[in-house]
Amino acid sequence: MSTLQIIANVWDKHLMTMRTIEHLQMFSIALLLSIIIGVTVGVFIYMKPKTANTVLNFLNIVETIPDLALIVLLLPILKLGAGPTIAACVLYSILPIARNTYTGLKGVDEQYTYVAHAIGMSPREALFKVRIPMSLPLIAGGIRIALVFCMGVVTLGGLVAAGGLGTVLQNGIQLYQKDVILIAGLWTGLLAVFLDGFAGIVEKKLHERYGTW
Amino acid sequence: MQSKRLFDRIDSIQFKGVTKKYGSVFAVKDLDLEIQGGELLILIGPSGSGKTTALRMMNRMIEQDSGTVTINGLDTREVDPVRLRRNMGYVIQNIGLFPHMTIGENIGLVPKLEGWDKNRIEKRVRELLDFVSLPPEMFMNRYPRQLSGGQQQRIGLARAMAMDPPLFLMDEPFGALDPILRKQLQKEFVKIKNEINRTIVFVTHDIEEALILGDRIAIMDQAKLVQVGPPEELIFNPVNDLVADIVDAKRKFKHMDTLNVKDLMSPFEEKYAFDGKMEACDAVEEMTSKDIENAFVFDGEEFLGHVTMIDLMKCRTKAQKLADIARPVKNFQPLDSVALALSEMKKSKEHLAIVMDSKHPIGILVSDEVLLKLI
Repeated sequence: MSTLQIIANVWDKHLMTMRTIEHLQMFSIALLLSIIIGVTVGVFIYMKPKTANTVLNFLNIVETIPDLALIVLLLPILKLGAGPTIAACVLYSILPIARNTYTGLKGVDEQYTYVAHAIGMSPREALFKVRIPMSLPLIAGGIRIALVFCMGVVTLGGLVAAGGLGTVLQNGIQLYQKDVILIAGLWTGLLAVFLDGFAGIVEKKLHERYGTW
Repeated sequence: MQSKRLFDRIDSIQFKGVTKKYGSVFAVKDLDLEIQGGELLILIGPSGSGKTTALRMMNRMIEQDSGTVTINGLDTREVDPVRLRRNMGYVIQNIGLFPHMTIGENIGLVPKLEGWDKNRIEKRVRELLDFVSLPPEMFMNRYPRQLSGGQQQRIGLARAMAMDPPLFLMDEPFGALDPILRKQLQKEFVKIKNEINRTIVFVTHDIEEALILGDRIAIMDQAKLVQVGPPEELIFNPVNDLVADIVDAKRKFKHMDTLNVKDLMSPFEEKYAFDGKMEACDAVEEMTSKDIENAFVFDGEEFLGHVTMIDLMKCRTKAQKLADIARPVKNFQPLDSVALALSEMKKSKEHLAIVMDSKHPIGILVSDEVLLKLI
C-alpha cells in the first residue's frame, strides 16, 4: 500500500473529515467566547485600574493549573462532551487576551486621548473610537496566543469524549496504531500552524492599519 | 445626539480671580482677564508661566481651584464639558490626528458624533479641505502619516473648524514646524483669521508670531498676568523689564530711529478716497464691492477724515452723509519720524493715519503694519 492509500484509509476509518469539523467548531466557539470575555475583562480592568492587579493575578493562577487537570475538574460541572473542553479553552485564553487588551489600552499615546477629550468626545466615545481601535494590534497579538493555547486544549478534549481530532489520537493510542497517531498528530499540528499563520497575517495588517509610528 | 449650540458668537470671555495650584506650586494665580468677542488674543510667556493652563481652563481640560471662567456670562463649570468643548475648535501643537482614521474621518469626526448624515459630513469635509488649500480628492482618503507636517497642521485646523465654532483655542499650533513653514502657515492663518472672523485664543512662545497675529497680547510670567494690550502698547509702554525683554523693545527702537513715515506707509490708492456728500449706505455698498473696510473722506481737495465699515453699518437706522460721520485722523508728513508718529497715534488711540504730501494724500500709516515691517 502506498502512503497516500494508508492516509486515505485512516482518514475514512476514523471519520477524520467529521472530526476536523468538530475540532474546528469547538475551537471557534471557544476562541470567540475567549475574545468576548477577554476583551471585556481587559477593558474593565483598564477602566477600574485598582482591580487590574487582582484580576490579572487570579488569571495567572488559573493559567498554572495543568490543562488536563482543569478539564477533569470541570467534568462534574459541565458533564462529558464539548463543554469542559470549551470552558477550559476559555479559562486559559482570557489571560493573554485580557492582559494584551489592558496593556494596549494603557499604551495608547496620551496625546490621542487628550485630543479626543479636547475636541469633545465623551469618555465612552474616546474609548470606543480611539483607544480600542488603536490597541487592536496588541489585542490581536493576545488573541493569537490564545489561539495556539486553544488548539492544544481542544485536542486534549478527546480524552473526555469531546469529539474532535483528539478522539482520533486517543483511539490511535488505545489501539496502538502508529499510523493513526502519526496522521492525526501531524494533521492537528498542521491545522494549528495554518491558523497561527493566518492570525499572524491579520495581526500584521492591523499593525499597518492601526499601528502608530 | 445633536446638541444645541451654547453660543452663536462670543461677546466676551472673562477670567475672574482664577487660580490653579499643583501641590504648593501655582500654575495660574489670581488671573483676571477679559477676552473680547472677535479678537485674537495671544497668551505668551516663558515655559511654566501658566499660559497653557489658562487656555485649558477655558474648555475645562483643566479645572481651576478657585475663581470663575465665564463665556458670555455663562460659568463654564455649569456646562457639561463635552458640550462645552464641541462649541470650541481646538488645535494643538502635535496636532493629534488619529492615525487609524483617514483625513476625511478625522475632519468629520465631531460632526459624526453630532449625528450629521453622511452626505452632509462629506460636503463639509470637502469645503474645509478646499478652505485649507488641500484638494479633497487627493487627501480625503489618505491617512495622517502620509501627509507632511504642514499638511497635517492644516488638517488639524480644518478639524477644529468642522462645527464652525465661534471660539478657537490654539495651543502653539505652529510650534513644531520648521521656521520657514511656520512663517508660511502664519501668513495663511492671518488670511483665514480674517475670513472666519472668530474669537481666537492663541498660546505661543514665539514673540514674532504674537506680534504678527495678535490683536492683543497677554504676557504671563510665573503664573501671573503681567501685562495685556495691543502689540504697540507692549512695545512702547512695557510695564517692566520682562515685558520689554520679551517684546525686545530695544531692538525695535533702534530700527525705528532711522526710519521715517515714508518708509513704512502703504501707498494711498484711489479706492480709499470717498466723497463727503455720499450717503453712508451707498458707501457701504461701494466699500464692500471694493473689498475695503476703511475709507478716507474728502470734500474736493480738502481732507475731512476717516470712516470704517463698522461706523457706516448704522446707516440703516439713520440716514447720514459721510462728511457727518468722518472722524479726523492724524496727518503726517512723509519725512516725519516713525517713532514719533506711532507714539502720537497711540496717545490718541488711533490705528490709522494719513500721510500727506502738501495737499495730496500719498500714503496710509497703519500701526499694525508698521510693526509687521519692523519685525
